[in-house]
This record gives sequence, C-alpha cells and structure tokens, in this order.
Amino acid sequence: MTPAIELRSVGVRYSSGPLWARRHVQAMEDVSFQIAAGETLGLVGESGSGKSTTGKVCLGLVRPTQGQVSFDGAPFASRRTTRGRLAAVLQHPQWSLNPRLHVGMSVAEPLAINQSSSSEERRRVVASMLERVGLEPSLAKRYPHQLSGGQRQRVAIARALVTHPRFIVFDEAVSALDVSVQAQILNLIRELQEQAGFAALFISHDLAAVRYIAKRVAVMYAGSIVELATAATFYARGLHPYSRGLQAASDLIDEPDARLSGLTEDVVREGCALTPRCPLAFDKCGRERPELRPLDGDLVACHRAGGA
Amino acid sequence: MKLPFANDRLSQAGTLVLLLLIALGVFAPLLPIGDPEAIGAGPRLSPPSTEFPLGTDNLGRPMMARIFEGILLTFVLSTIAVLIAGVVGAVIGMIAAYVHHVLDEVISRFADMLFSFPPVLLGLLVTTILAPGIQSAIAAIVLITLPAMVRVVRAATLEVARRDFVVVAEVVGASFGRRLFLHLFPNVAGVVAVQTAYSISLGMLIESALSFLGLGVQPPNASLGSLMREGATYLEIAPWLAFGPGAFLAAAILSVNLFGDGLRAVVDPLEPRPLQ
Amino acid sequence: MRNDAPPARPIVTISDLVIEFRTRRQRVRALDGASLSVAEGEKVGLVGESGSGKSTLALSLARLLPTNAEHVSGDLTVAGKSIFAMDTASLRAVRRRTLSYVFQDPIGTLDPTMRVGRQISSVLNGVSQRSAVASSLLEVGLTDHKRIARSYPHELSGGMAQRVSIAVALAAKPQVVIADEPTASLDASIRAQILDLLVSLCAGHGTALVLLSHDLRAIAHYCERVAVMYGGRVVEDGPTANVFSEPFHPYSRALMKAAPGQERLGGRIEPIPGVPPILGGREERCTFAPRCRFALESCHSERPGEQRTAGRRVICHRVEGGLPPLPR
Repeated sequence: MTPAIELRSVGVRYSSGPLWARRHVQAMEDVSFQIAAGETLGLVGESGSGKSTTGKVCLGLVRPTQGQVSFDGAPFASRRTTRGRLAAVLQHPQWSLNPRLHVGMSVAEPLAINQSSSSEERRRVVASMLERVGLEPSLAKRYPHQLSGGQRQRVAIARALVTHPRFIVFDEAVSALDVSVQAQILNLIRELQEQAGFAALFISHDLAAVRYIAKRVAVMYAGSIVELATAATFYARGLHPYSRGLQAASDLIDEPDARLSGLTEDVVREGCALTPRCPLAFDKCGRERPELRPLDGDLVACHRAGGA
Repeated sequence: MKLPFANDRLSQAGTLVLLLLIALGVFAPLLPIGDPEAIGAGPRLSPPSTEFPLGTDNLGRPMMARIFEGILLTFVLSTIAVLIAGVVGAVIGMIAAYVHHVLDEVISRFADMLFSFPPVLLGLLVTTILAPGIQSAIAAIVLITLPAMVRVVRAATLEVARRDFVVVAEVVGASFGRRLFLHLFPNVAGVVAVQTAYSISLGMLIESALSFLGLGVQPPNASLGSLMREGATYLEIAPWLAFGPGAFLAAAILSVNLFGDGLRAVVDPLEPRPLQ
Repeated sequence: MRNDAPPARPIVTISDLVIEFRTRRQRVRALDGASLSVAEGEKVGLVGESGSGKSTLALSLARLLPTNAEHVSGDLTVAGKSIFAMDTASLRAVRRRTLSYVFQDPIGTLDPTMRVGRQISSVLNGVSQRSAVASSLLEVGLTDHKRIARSYPHELSGGMAQRVSIAVALAAKPQVVIADEPTASLDASIRAQILDLLVSLCAGHGTALVLLSHDLRAIAHYCERVAVMYGGRVVEDGPTANVFSEPFHPYSRALMKAAPGQERLGGRIEPIPGVPPILGGREERCTFAPRCRFALESCHSERPGEQRTAGRRVICHRVEGGLPPLPR
C-alpha cells in the first residue's frame, strides 16, 4: 500500500541576512519517514530541533531544499493536487478560527474551496461534522469568541476532517489545553482516526500526549531524526541517549544518569550533534557522524546503541 | 438608546461635537445666518454682534455662514482624500506584508521615504506641480497620509498572517484572493478604520495649511484655511476674522481625534474578544 | 488545633478566603472560601485547571490582584500578619523581604531596560557590590556570571532568563517563593534543571515554596504536599505520596486519571466530562457534583464542609459521610 505521505532525505536550509553576509541555518537534514493510512507518527524534540519545520514541509508550507516529499505516492506538486486531502490542526485555540467568521463558515471552508458541493449540502455536512466532534450543530452560528478553548479546538478538528483528508498534521494541537480538556481532545482524535482512517503526524513536546496517540515515534535533534522506533521500544526506555534524556526530563523514566547536560544552543559541526550534552559520549562521537541504522526493527543514529 | 463608546465620556463628547459640526456645515444654507457669498450683506469688518454673531469680513459677508461653509469643505476634502489613502494604503500594506519579502522591502523603504518628507513641504511640492486647487490639495493629503496607513496595515497584517487560521487556509488550498479578502482584510479592517479617523484630522490640518498658503481652495470657495488667510490680513484691526475659523478648526480636529480614540478602544482587531 | 500539623510554624495561612472580580456585566467569584497553610520551608504543589482559582490565590498572597478584584471575606496572613489589613508601607516590606514570585515568562518578568546585574543588586537591600551579584548568579548555576550581569534580559535564552529571575526572587532571602508555572515556556530538559535548581535553593535557604503547575508529574516529584483546587476552593490537601496513590476527592482522582502518561501503553485515559464552573457568588452545593461520577444526592443541594482525615483535608460529602474510598 502506498503511504499517505513519504519524506525521502529531506533537507531544509534557511538563509537570512544581506547578500554579502548570508547566514544559513540547516533546519532539517536528511529526514526520511513514511506514514501509512490509519497510522500516527509521533514527532518529539525540543524547540529548535526541526520538528515544526518538518510539520511545515509535510503541509507544503516550506519547500525542501533537498530530497522529495511524496503525497499519496505522487510528488508534492501544487496545492491544487492536495486540495481536500491534506489538513492541519495547529497549536493556538484562540487563533485557530477566523474571529470574523462564524463557526459553520470556518468548518465549511475546505469544502467551499473545493466547490464540489452546494451550500445546502455544506450546511448538512458541517452539522454532522460538529456532531461527530461532540459539539451541538447549533454552534455553527456562533462566533469563535463565544466558545471555550476546548470547543474551538474541536471545531478546528471538525474543519480538518470535513473533506475526509488522507493526512492530517497535528502541531502541538493539545499543548495549550487544560488536563481534562486535553484528555477529551486526545480521545476524540483517537476515535476519529479509528473511524476515518487518516494518516497523522502528531508533533508535540509533550511525551505523554505522544505516547497516548502514536504507535511510532520519531525523535529529532538538531534537524535530524536520531531515533525512529515503535512506541513500545521508545517508551520502554528508548534507544538513543537523547530519547532517554527527554524521558528522564519529563519523569517518564527515573534514571538519574540519563539526564542531558548543557544548553541546547551548543552547535556541533563535526560528529554527533549531541556529543557535548551526552552522558555516554566517547571519542568516536566527536569525529564521526552516526548514520540512522536499523536495530531490532527500529532505527537509531548513535554509535553506542546496541551495545557498541 | 445605547450610545457608542460606553464608559468613554470623552469620546462620546468628541463624536457629538463632530456630528454637530458636520450638521452645521450641511444645513448652513437653511439656517438664518445669511448668504456666505452676499457681498455687502452687512457693514465691512464689523465685530461680532447680535446680527452677525461672528462678525463680517472685508466685503461685508457674514463670517458665520462662511465658516460653516468652510467647515464642510475642509472636512469633505480631507475625508475624500483619506478614504482614497485608506483603500490604497490597505491594499499596498497587505500586499507588502503577505506577498514576498523583497516586495515588502521595496514598499517599506518607499513609505519611509515619503514619511521622512516634512508634510507641508510635500504638499507644496504637489501643489506646485499640479497647480493650486482642490484636486492638488486632495492629492497632497493622500500622499502625506498614505505612508502611515501602509505601515500600520502592514504591521497588523504581519501579525494576523501568522495566526493559525490563515496558515490552515493556505494548507487546505484557499486562493490568494480568498486569504487576502476573507481572512486578512476583515481582521485588519479595524486598524484601517482607526488610522483613517486619525488621518482625517491630519488631512484637515494639511488642507488648512495649504489653503492658508493660497495653494489649496481658491476663491470664491472657502475652507477654514482660506478664511484664516483672508483674516490674517486684518489681524490687527479685525482679529475675529482669523480667530473664528481657527477656533472651529481646532474644535474639529480635537473632536475627530477623540472619535478616533473611542474607535480604537472598540475595534481591537488584534485580540480576540475575551470570553464572558 | 489540627493534630497532624507539621512541626514548623506556618508562614502563610489562608482561611476561608473569598475574592470576587467585578466585570462590566457580572461578578465572578474566583475564590469561594479557599483555605491553605504553608509551613516554613515546606514545598507545596498547587494544582487545578484554569479557572480553578489557583492563580488568584497565588496573587492574593502579596495582594497583587488587579484593581477590579474585591476581598469579600476570609483572611490571609503572611508571617503572622494579615495581608488585607496592612498599610502600604508594610505591604511593600512584605513584598520586598518576605514573599517573592517566579512567573511563567522570565524574559517578560525582568525589566527589559536594565542590565541583569543591576536588577539583582537592586533587590539586594542596598548591597550593591559586584561580589554579591556574582555569588547570586553563581548560585543559580550561571558560571559565566560576568557576561550575564552585563546582559539585557532579551539577550538571554529562556532557561538562562529563568535562572536569573530565580536569582532575583531569592536574592532578598524571602521566606516564601511562589512559582506560577515557572517552566511552562521551557523545553523539557531545561524544565527539569530549573525545577531542580529552584527546589534545592529553597531547601538551602529554608524558604517555603508554593509551586503552581498543571504538570502533575513535576508536583509529585518535587513537592511534599499537594493542594488540589476546584471551583475556588482547595478541595483536597495532603502529603503528595498519599494524595497521588489514593486520592480522596473525586476531582483529584479524575484529574490524575485524565493525565496521559500513567495509563499502560495503548490504554485509555478517562477525560473529565463537562467544563469547570464559573461562579457568580457563594455556591450552595458541591461545584464538582455535575461532573462527578460518585455524586450523592446531598452533593447537589448542600455545600460540603471541610473534613480532616488521615493527614488530609478534604471537602467532599462522600468523605463527610464516611463512605468507602473511591475505586482505584
């Protein structure tokens, strides 16, 4: 079966500054993964790890400077080809909806863009969609400021699902919500995925939320994927020292020597980017950049992994 | 009836004065204050009296009628010019912020350049090129108020364009026009309205300055500026000729600004309204 | 007297505090009889959803509430003196010496126009020597103290700025530090470092810590006591280990069950149905009753009172009625 989305060796380099003093930042380097229909890939990492850029590449908002993105087996050509098959739920509940449009219009927007349905049909679809995400259909006539944060995020999910997309990116979609509302939304995403079978990329800094939603987890550090493993492997302990560090920091595992040291600003040009912060680093790490290699069915980029 | 700008007495007062001034201008021909163009309707240069509450000018025309005529012309001229600047500025500002950063750079630097000209100098330049008159006064006001409009709209658009709903619209394939007019414009419209209100007062000031210098409204039309110019000649023997229009100009500008303050408080375009 | 009181004397006592906010349209009761006490040197975690009143409670401690807030009844004492009865001068003294805050956004908390070194020396009670500034920066783990002291806040990373604001908060050796979501804007790995630092410094100075957080794991890890807030009241308060292993209040239980991370992999979490209440005045019933799986009839009609049992204070009719503990 063709994956809903596939990234092959994708790299993104941002350039800034005047022409005579150009500065470049490698936001993504050699990132490859695929997500099948009905599957959720969790993407974790700290700020600056490149996970938001990865999300933007998947949404076609950032053009890769290297590698290819294919969507449903075909290269990502233009918005026209992905219309109705690609959707996103983003972070800020207070900004997720246009404050000047009523909720029904926001939810119907992806349909209106496709122009494949009459406005009567759209009204019906919107009502049933709102019901599916656990909202009263009468909410369609309200404005966003009349809704709570949780309700707005439900509306954003309804809007994402209204065209039955093949692939949805959730970028920090539950991070701004309170615990009890977060649980409601997480359950909703899981149920809807079981029913609708879309592929999902769930980007979050919250390891517990990712654990709940994703079957596979990709860990990014300094623009590269350092581990791509099943949730079972990752949450058992993880293969990469960085994965363990992240989990120790969020208290999902209690392993004192797994803690990462130093600050995230450390830039490393040679060898493994994690070297200055890694509790397991040895001389090879500073010289040679580890490749992402298979290990018991998972992938890891670390010289130490697997007992070496 | 619910008044606009609840809890803001100053803005309410400003709005009231503004409406009153406009009404005086519009209904002046119906009021028993004489014909502004009737030469010799009264004695020349007579001080304020019961018959001529604001005195008469050097040709014996009743000043009150002339001032009310002048208010309307000053206000209408400035409003027309600022509305043009508002529409043009909104489009340019949104395009600068949302199309491409190189275009943004070009537009912003051009706006900076216009902005750095002293307003009256720019006005002089325009009126000397286009020949004095109402059209060139309007052109001057447009040019002078445009850069601020562009800047304000650009900044607001940059802010709104980062919002999740604009990004999602792009993801689901909304066309450029749809994003611009359905998502961006309604959310920066409040900023445009507030900036327009403030610009009208600046426009009135510029119109008056140009007319005072003889470059704007030409006789027999009268604006507050041209009335002050005429009055200035007789400042020592008939000071009311200059002070009358001057006082009305000050009141008009103050009331427009107070209205703008109230509008700004109501239309808070960048923040979603708080949950009640 | 409570027989289970900690041996140290309380530095903060909040008793039956009621705070209301007046908005143009309505009155909102943010605190509806909240009680809590913090002993000297104690580390107390305060949990609850937005709207539960925890931020209002935290700001009340130094009377930092906005001007539309009204103290309706109840009392709040810091170091034995009532905050609401204080004149401005003694209130300022309390804010300067007894209490200090660490907020969520460190860069926004620091003065953007002042170098970090001067901000620290300005709270050092007139001691402005370089060495004092240097030692307080070293204390928060900023070894590059010379450069940092010369920097402006916007030149620092989030983690460094939060270290600086901890240095500022602790410079005057206060008796209580109130940390309101101090790590919510930071990355996970830095989050743990900052909390480690905050907790160890407070322990070193004998300073009490009130930690507001929605991160239950962090509270469980760092605090010896936890207070759960709901509907403007502290509905459960007790030793962290006990409250987390066997919550007495249905809301505490629901909150823990709703947080992802504790379920087995692939298992389900139980969201709390409904939404938190917004109170308009004194509530004559349990505010959690409409969302509670275990509600009794009396929960909908009677305001529950405070129960002290097994080292805990609980506001729940079930506990009041001596009903068996909640299912696990």
